[in-house]
Amino acid sequence: MGRYIVQRLLSSIPVIFLVTLISFSLMQLVPGDPAIMVAGLQATPDEVERVRVQLGLDQPFHMQLLHWYGNLLQGDLGTSFLLGRDVLEVTLERLPVSISIAVYALVMTLLVSIVAGIIAALRQNSWVDQLVMTIALIGVSLPNFWLGLMLIVLFSVHLGWLPTGGYVDFREDFWGWLQAATLPAVSLAMLQMGLLARITRSTMLEVLRQDYIRTARAKGLSERKVVGKHALKNVMIPVVTVIGIIFSLLLSGSVVIETIFSVPGIGSLLGSAILRRDYPVIQGGLLLVAAMLLLLNLVVDVLYAYFDPRVRYRNGK
Amino acid sequence: MSRKSLGGVALTLAGALLAVTALTAGEARAAFECPVKGGDLVFGQEAKVNSLDMHSSSTISTRNIAMHVFESLMTRDEDNNPILELAESVETSDDGLTHTFKLRDGIKFHNGKTMTSKDVAASFDRYNKVGIERAILGNVAGWEAPDASTFVVKMKASQPTFLEDLSSFSVPIVIVPEEVAQADFLKMEPVGTGPFQFVEFIADSHVKVKRFEDYKPNEAYEERTGFGGYKTACLDTVTFRIVTEPGARVAGLETGELDAVEDVPQSSVPRLQENEKIKIVPYENFWIHIATPNFEKAPTDNPLVRRAIATALDMDEIMEVATDGAYNTNFGFQQPNRKVYSDKGKEFFNLKDPEKAKELLKEAGYKGEELVLLTNKDYTTMYNAALVMAEQLKDIGMNVRLEVQDWPATIATRDKQKDAWNYHFTGWGTNSSLGYLAVFKFLAKPRPIYTTDLESTDEVFDKAYSDMLSLPTFEERAEAFARAQYRVMEHGISLPFGWLTKNQAVRSNVHNFVPFRIPRMYNVWMDKES
Repeated sequence: MGRYIVQRLLSSIPVIFLVTLISFSLMQLVPGDPAIMVAGLQATPDEVERVRVQLGLDQPFHMQLLHWYGNLLQGDLGTSFLLGRDVLEVTLERLPVSISIAVYALVMTLLVSIVAGIIAALRQNSWVDQLVMTIALIGVSLPNFWLGLMLIVLFSVHLGWLPTGGYVDFREDFWGWLQAATLPAVSLAMLQMGLLARITRSTMLEVLRQDYIRTARAKGLSERKVVGKHALKNVMIPVVTVIGIIFSLLLSGSVVIETIFSVPGIGSLLGSAILRRDYPVIQGGLLLVAAMLLLLNLVVDVLYAYFDPRVRYRNGK
Repeated sequence: MSRKSLGGVALTLAGALLAVTALTAGEARAAFECPVKGGDLVFGQEAKVNSLDMHSSSTISTRNIAMHVFESLMTRDEDNNPILELAESVETSDDGLTHTFKLRDGIKFHNGKTMTSKDVAASFDRYNKVGIERAILGNVAGWEAPDASTFVVKMKASQPTFLEDLSSFSVPIVIVPEEVAQADFLKMEPVGTGPFQFVEFIADSHVKVKRFEDYKPNEAYEERTGFGGYKTACLDTVTFRIVTEPGARVAGLETGELDAVEDVPQSSVPRLQENEKIKIVPYENFWIHIATPNFEKAPTDNPLVRRAIATALDMDEIMEVATDGAYNTNFGFQQPNRKVYSDKGKEFFNLKDPEKAKELLKEAGYKGEELVLLTNKDYTTMYNAALVMAEQLKDIGMNVRLEVQDWPATIATRDKQKDAWNYHFTGWGTNSSLGYLAVFKFLAKPRPIYTTDLESTDEVFDKAYSDMLSLPTFEERAEAFARAQYRVMEHGISLPFGWLTKNQAVRSNVHNFVPFRIPRMYNVWMDKES
């Protein structure tokens, strides 16, 4: 297993290289001049040119790229054009914010959708099943920015239960964090809850038709034991498969949600960096997010072995 | 060498109001006093702040905060006239080559140090190196600090408009301690002389400032005026919270999490007006909605086609759709209350005459060439204006296409792809607010990036603009501005649609919040509950 993990980590390096190369190239292709964004629209061509030199944008593409990779090897992700701050420092400040909300949303997604999916499967074709699936369909269909605004109107303006936005560091005030993070997390989680509830339901239905479930029932085991002990663990295999994908979607979905709820996370940082063509922040942010997702996929693959004894990693396979 | 007094300079600048600033501390009158002191005012700001380095950032969002922390030698009053701020007086030599500033006495920086002319010189040094608008100092030969309270600026050639430029609040030459002025581009610490001092900056979340207890108000005034005057911090702290989503800003105001906000969507105004705990304070003439033509691509290379387009358009309809009703279509590139206001060129504006436009198109020899409107969805008002304009022009038989990109991409397309567009949609805010010299800067020599090259197309405008900068008296320069404005309209050098109103709003317990281009929190106080 250890060898497998090391091999997977090593194989991540070319992936990271490709991600950064593609993002660097794409940003150069997209119209928009960071020097103008920094110098301001009133700047004369000379002033813009001075800023361009200051930012190193006067160098040819390959030189900028080599310079960036050279710095990367020394652990330096560069300096933000617009913030004037170290990119690594800025992104590491933001990552915990986004991760904390994404984890909150993930926990919410898992708890609600697995329970709902299982109940719907056990009561197949009943009104409970219909209700769960209808809610899941609504969750899948609602745009999260609209849902976010509606949640603000209901829970903040009318009921006054939760704040309209902002962020509180969970290390400083956990209760404050819980209050501030709930609406963004629900907005993020609704879509994933709908998807995962449907996956859980269909998987559970499939598992319940398997021979070993029939055998367990024939042995006279209670339905609770049949479901809890024999079915659930097998249901978890496809669920674990999608957890990695769900988490990456929760993180990427945070661009819009962080904007609506004024959350200073990585999504908000990347969103404004793209709009203002802050290349170093885009590069650095994508690099860290890509590295994180690769790591997450590795964790998911390792978890397979726990849930499915047929999966064993030997000699890197 | 005889010298003009400040009062004399003022008259040649922008009006008699500057003469008021010749008052000294000894002539102080009953000044503003805070009825209530204390409280943390939370302001919902629409745009993110990239930096608080006022020399290196040209964004409004930086100015919103930095104008509370920093001050300059000169600034603008409520009517946009230049006034003194950290300077007590300024004298200009008869030949116009030397400006001598006497600094106000006993001004402290937020780090406790007393301001001297050495700090002023260091601030000018830094601005000349990294300041975004360092072109202001292009005609300056140098500066000296002969003693602790005197700062002298020497010009290469006489420039009657120099002090007006120096008082610009666009990217002002704010005065910082000498040691702070050594910082690199975008790296300057927010240590100024303003009524509020910096506490913390959490990027994309908030900026907090607190009352500067050693602040010395300008006793030449009784009240705040513009960015200057008698300023005092009644509030303990002000938190500028970044809330970019308009719906969330409105919700925050309704729940009381925010005490004041900028840019309330017009669609929310009627509902908020019914809420007795909220006051809407509209700021009119926030920016001119405008499209600038491409003079190098047919059909807008033909002045007659540009005239036909201007003749066809119904600006009321365009502005109504673009802004949901938060607008006016008063004519002019300056607000009517400005001394320099002129309606020259009005006969070319908002004509709503499609039949006449068709005739002009025929006369121009228009043969159905594609007209590309380059717009963006980042500023929905610009997108909506382009949509309506496209429909109105289709009605007169023009072949119109909308090119929609994001805002930075439209700028790049405008500057680098001269064959890809005919009208670029934008808004002139800070520059129209700064006054007549600044508003046409985008169109004038040396060509800023803001427009395509007019060099071979319009000498009349260039002459008028040159006169605006160089004629010795204000009256002569104002007349040159009127000429320039007439030429812009007659020749279709730009296509103004109307003025946008920006709705600001406060909770009812917030007092003396007067809408202004940049929200001001000095001389504002709040009761405990609304």
